[in-house]
Amino acid sequence: MAAIAPRRLTKELKELTMGECPAGVQLLQSADFETWVLSLEVLGESLYKGEVFALRFRFEPQYPIASPEVTFIVDDKFKAPIHPHVYSNGHICASILGHEWSPVLGVASVCITLQSMLASCKKRERPPDNDRYVRTAPASPKKSRFHYDDDTV
Amino acid sequence: MKVTVKAWHAIAEWRWDTGQQSTPDTDDGEDDVCGICRLPFEACCPACKVPGDDCPLIWGECTHVFHMHCLLKWISTPASKAQCPMDRRPWVNAERKVNLN
Repeated sequence: MAAIAPRRLTKELKELTMGECPAGVQLLQSADFETWVLSLEVLGESLYKGEVFALRFRFEPQYPIASPEVTFIVDDKFKAPIHPHVYSNGHICASILGHEWSPVLGVASVCITLQSMLASCKKRERPPDNDRYVRTAPASPKKSRFHYDDDTV
Repeated sequence: MKVTVKAWHAIAEWRWDTGQQSTPDTDDGEDDVCGICRLPFEACCPACKVPGDDCPLIWGECTHVFHMHCLLKWISTPASKAQCPMDRRPWVNAERKVNLN
């Protein structure tokens, strides 16, 4: 099957660089059609005011039929936000990245969803099973079976 | 003055009748695009080379329109749960409504 990702990503790249990038989101790396890095901050009042996070998107050739792998980068420069749906290894438990992915979603809409997930957070805390999950987590969160237990955060 | 036409080129334009009002004033100045590949309906899906009847559109009863090939790729994955990518309602092919103006 022909790879459909490059043409779709070319289109998204054009939109992100032509001024349609969501506020608080910046493209840091988009040299190929496999891995992109974007910075993300929550604008306005929130528990994460002043913090800048980085998201890594990994695309399969079948993106957007296949969902992208999206994680918060954890390295010397960036940390994963402390949030009940974000593990300390950067893995994110969000339904749209898993069983509720739709090919009409894209990089910008994922960023906006994650911004609003952070913006609506009431308490800075890790998921209750963080330590156990991080110990045994697969490299790609797409291989994790998350249990979506709370739609309100 | 006498004018003699020596040669002429016929130019035709076509577009799919999506049954929707086309919106040429979208942000990027482009006509309606397939929500899956984001290429114009009048272009072909990313897997095809030639636009037109070989790369048709498909209509759902929910009124959403996609390149047929794009939609079928999605529907054939278990992740789709056979739902429309736009509204997650069960995808049901609609009879194409031809607009006779």
